[in-house]
Amino acid sequence: MKKNWPVLTLGAALLVGLALPLATGASAPGFYVEVLLGGLMTGVLYSLVALGFALIFKASGVFNFAQGTMVLFAALAVARLAERMPLWAAILLAMAIMVALAWLIERLVLRPLVNQEGVALLMATLGVTYFLDGFGQIVWGSDIYKIDLGIAKEPVMVLDKVFQGGILVNKEDFVSAIVAAVLVAGLVLFFQKTATGRALRAVADDHQAAQSIGIPLNRIWVIVWSVAGFVALVAGVIWGSQLGVQFSLSQVALKALPVVILGGFTSIAGAIVGGLIIGVGEKMAEVFLGPVLVKAFDLAGGGIENWFAYVLALLFLLVRPEGLFGEKYIDRV
Amino acid sequence: MAESLAGLDTFPKLLMHHARARAERPAIREKDLGVWQTWSWRRFAEEVCLLACGLAAQGFRRGDHLAIVGDNRPRVYAAMCAAQCLGGIPVPLYQDAVAAEMAFPIQNAAITHALAEDQEQVDKLLEILPQCPTLAHIYYDEPRGLRHYDQPQLMSCDRLLELGAEAQRHDPAFLEAEIARGAGPDTAAMFFTSGTTGTAKGVVLTHHSLIDRARAAAEMEGLNDADVVLAYLPPAWIGQNIFSYAQPFVTGYCICCPESAETVMSDMRDIGPTYYFAPPRVFEALLTQVSIRMEDASAPKRALYRYFMGVARRVGGAILDGKDVGALDWLLYRLGDAMVYGPLRNVLGMSRVRIAYTAGEAIGPDLFRFYRSLGINLKQLYGSTETSVFVCVQPNGQVKADTVGPAVKGVELSFTPERELLIRSPGLFKEYYKNPQATADSKDAQGWFHTGDAGYFDADGHVKIIDRVKDVGKLADGSLFAPKYLENKLKFFPFIKEAVAFGHGRDRVCAFINMDMEAVGNWAEKRGMPYSGYVDLASRDEVYGLMRECIEQVNADLAAEPEIAGSQIHRFLILHKQLEADDGELTRTSKVRRLHVAEKYAALVDAMYAGKPVVHVEAQVRYEDGRTGSISADLKIRDARTFPPAAARKAA
Amino acid sequence: MTKADGRAGRLGEVILALDGVSLAFGGVQALRDVSFDVREHEVRAIIGPNGAGKSSMLNVINGVYHPQQGTIRYLGREYRDMDPHEVAVSGIARTFQNLALFKGMTVLDNIMAGRNLKMHTNILLQALRLGPALREEIAQREVVEGIIDFLEIQAYRKTPVGRLPYGLQKRVDLARALAMEPRILLLDEPMAGMNVEEKQDMCRFVLDVNDHFGTTIVLIEHDMSVVMDISDRVVVLDYGRKIGDGTPNEVRSSQAVIDAYLGVSH
Repeated sequence: MKKNWPVLTLGAALLVGLALPLATGASAPGFYVEVLLGGLMTGVLYSLVALGFALIFKASGVFNFAQGTMVLFAALAVARLAERMPLWAAILLAMAIMVALAWLIERLVLRPLVNQEGVALLMATLGVTYFLDGFGQIVWGSDIYKIDLGIAKEPVMVLDKVFQGGILVNKEDFVSAIVAAVLVAGLVLFFQKTATGRALRAVADDHQAAQSIGIPLNRIWVIVWSVAGFVALVAGVIWGSQLGVQFSLSQVALKALPVVILGGFTSIAGAIVGGLIIGVGEKMAEVFLGPVLVKAFDLAGGGIENWFAYVLALLFLLVRPEGLFGEKYIDRV
Repeated sequence: MAESLAGLDTFPKLLMHHARARAERPAIREKDLGVWQTWSWRRFAEEVCLLACGLAAQGFRRGDHLAIVGDNRPRVYAAMCAAQCLGGIPVPLYQDAVAAEMAFPIQNAAITHALAEDQEQVDKLLEILPQCPTLAHIYYDEPRGLRHYDQPQLMSCDRLLELGAEAQRHDPAFLEAEIARGAGPDTAAMFFTSGTTGTAKGVVLTHHSLIDRARAAAEMEGLNDADVVLAYLPPAWIGQNIFSYAQPFVTGYCICCPESAETVMSDMRDIGPTYYFAPPRVFEALLTQVSIRMEDASAPKRALYRYFMGVARRVGGAILDGKDVGALDWLLYRLGDAMVYGPLRNVLGMSRVRIAYTAGEAIGPDLFRFYRSLGINLKQLYGSTETSVFVCVQPNGQVKADTVGPAVKGVELSFTPERELLIRSPGLFKEYYKNPQATADSKDAQGWFHTGDAGYFDADGHVKIIDRVKDVGKLADGSLFAPKYLENKLKFFPFIKEAVAFGHGRDRVCAFINMDMEAVGNWAEKRGMPYSGYVDLASRDEVYGLMRECIEQVNADLAAEPEIAGSQIHRFLILHKQLEADDGELTRTSKVRRLHVAEKYAALVDAMYAGKPVVHVEAQVRYEDGRTGSISADLKIRDARTFPPAAARKAA
Repeated sequence: MTKADGRAGRLGEVILALDGVSLAFGGVQALRDVSFDVREHEVRAIIGPNGAGKSSMLNVINGVYHPQQGTIRYLGREYRDMDPHEVAVSGIARTFQNLALFKGMTVLDNIMAGRNLKMHTNILLQALRLGPALREEIAQREVVEGIIDFLEIQAYRKTPVGRLPYGLQKRVDLARALAMEPRILLLDEPMAGMNVEEKQDMCRFVLDVNDHFGTTIVLIEHDMSVVMDISDRVVVLDYGRKIGDGTPNEVRSSQAVIDAYLGVSH
């Protein structure tokens, strides 16, 4: 078996880093698990956004810079619509808007630019980003809005028999993690088990061949962007209910970038695992590594959470550019 | 078996019985379009009836022969029975034979009707039509590619079935009467043996002999209608015919036809046969696959595999034989079964195998024990076309790697002074078709069949086959010399590719060794031994040492067998080149052409017997690209240790 | 394997006709005024030395390129500027010289993808795996199993195509195209890169397809000997021009064709 030493080393370092606080007794087990769970839940959300990213990249080869903004846009739509109608209706309507958006993007951006350089398409999605930002604020306003999912936000104490002091879990976090997991599982099944999913994979694999057997590229793109929009919607609603719907949401959503670098651009599994790794990693780093660094170098403060993901992604770019699950393309000579 | 099959003395009668007694139980399954399709016994019988009526309408009469060429397909077996219903004789031919090979059987039996599976077989039959003017009807099962064939001889099976249905409407009682007219002593089938010597011979077998042998073995092994068999070897081979025709007819079990030759492994996993046969080369190939997969596995998996295979080697065989091995080992084996052996059996498709047979050639003891240690009840049997297969079978609990077991019930065995095995059995063939000379040569007046195989009984009364009689020689002191037996023992070592033993008329045995370049090359690499090529490696003292160890192990084995203890190898040399079919040293089927090798390398043989330590050789070699060149080398000749025979040791 | 004589009478009407087709890329003239027709149920070969314009020809029919001049009539109607998807919808399937299979997908999924045009259930029904979608999937699978059986690739259903040897990938490519149940099948060098045995198999499959499904076949081949045995009529291209058209025997004895293949300068 061929061994990939850099990756193994990196993996080992991550594991050791993870286990260190527990092993050195720097943290009580209960608290440690609490941090771990908190990280996982953030990670699930990262995974969701990254998933939208990976889907679009796989199916149309477009690096969709606008994914973060789509999250914000969807969240804004839900928040504002919910002021006028029940939440479920608002979500349905927002979904319709996301599908319409997907259709418009295909019509106005992708179709005219098909067969152009990748950079042109990247720039186009950058344009879409700014347009959505501005357009969203014009239509929905630029204040901080709330989405109330109607789930109690107060923390619940669980497992207090096992750990001293128990573990504090936010019920809403818990529900959203489950929703996200179900969504991911559903998407995977959709891709693997349905005719449309098969067509999506076919397009992702080879555009020309897909066309030659009568798979309509344009329709597939609309579907993919709609699915990405749907994923963004779910992520936006969950996040929005936790943090409030505001401009910074699109910044948080940009964390999906390091996630896809870590997981591999073309891999759904990569997006999920990458999201979890980064979610847990940055939370751990913030809580356990931060104070150590501050003390050791006499720094002003922490904030590791903000840059940890990017450093990790950078490391991965150095040792394994195709990511954890990405395909290594070997061109046939 | 609770049901009474008394009076059911032909295959068609047995079929009609099953069609009543277990009408909806599966008789044949076939994987078609990715799905296992099942023919119940009732459906099978219906198909047979229609085919039979159709054949009759086409002029097929009692005593006629029906050539059948095709892979394992329900209709191929149905056609066999259809011919038998009419008192006709199915003649299955090997589906991979070339057209010319099919001409002889068809001419020999003046065959008028033939059933071919598909276009490929039809093409072959059409090709030999000019030499086989009697062949007037060719039926085909799979119409693909045949649409535009307009030869008058051709007819699709579907059309034949229609004709059959029509005929049956006209005369519904006809077939029943035809079946009733058949009796046990009638000829049931004719199998052409390829015949290592001379032309093919048609072996004529009666219903009685086939049914008797099929039943004796089925009773011995407790086969019943819950058993499942995968029919994947050629139907023209007597063994496949026994396992997928005679025995299911006797016991009512179900046979399964794989989708194609390439899918046999996965189809086998699908259905999980309980009763399985494979020649040694198949078991060998499977083991190789497993080994390759394990090499690619992760380190923990490999370690687990190695450890538990060690446990299995130590106690697996004993546990299978129902012997006591101690609680700890038993527990370890159970653990290994859950983690390694079980999954491995599953991968091999042998999870449900109760009885597995191997036969046809000697099987390496390590290979044999590997399967047994996994908990697969692999056993050896002995038989041939002329004996309706079952002559010897190893009973459960008495399984050995180097014997073929004691006689099956009903069989009498004896050995001639030349050690040729003679057989008298209800399963013996009636005659070689239209060849009284050959029949008389092999079956004597007392009804003994001369097998041409040499061997002897071991201490437990198991038959041990060592060689063909014609190849067995004598040493100068008159003791037995069986070169192939020695060579096989040597070839079971992975390092030895080929061996040629000499000794007939000599005072002792000497041998040529052909090393296995790959295995020895790896071995040398692991030891950090540099070498420049085949000739260089073959001449290394280390390699000579390696070979000597192998030979001495064989010698030790031989010493334990008084009959052939005198055949221990005294001196050997490692040949400077691989024996090749292109150089006339091997047959095309990779068997050593002993006489030719002895002649070509007479100087080397003489040097061994003259006691020289070294011999010079110059040889012409043909490279793969067709160029020729010459090799000149000094070959070392080494002595190997021999051991006093066991009997002598005891006496001393 | 040569064609049985029984095939002679089966040819139908002209189904595809190209008239005066010219195609240029920048300054390079790939096709010059090429005209020929294809009759229903025919095996029609387009041959020529490397760079003769064979692939361009196929891509023109397939809708990848649009000729600057000339017309293409299919089933009596002229088609203009159809893209490959529309061409596929109209019943023309193709295979690829350099294999354009969905490498990450299994053999079965690849061929099932070829049934895409035959699937009509709504995406929502599919997502929920509701009755009609499930029934449709099963019905399509049956057709696909027939093709798998036809091309003798039963052993590889679940194998990702990327792992198959080249000759088998070619067969999967053919299977995927067949799954569309096309009226015309365009084969782009189906025997390229194959050994003799694989070539023979492929010839047999091509003839069987033609025979069994009545599919009209247009095949491009570089190797002249291969097509002569299996084609009804042959078009010969050289430097983008048609230099021969007729039965294999006519083409074989044409001086212009012999010159082109022997490389006589113009």
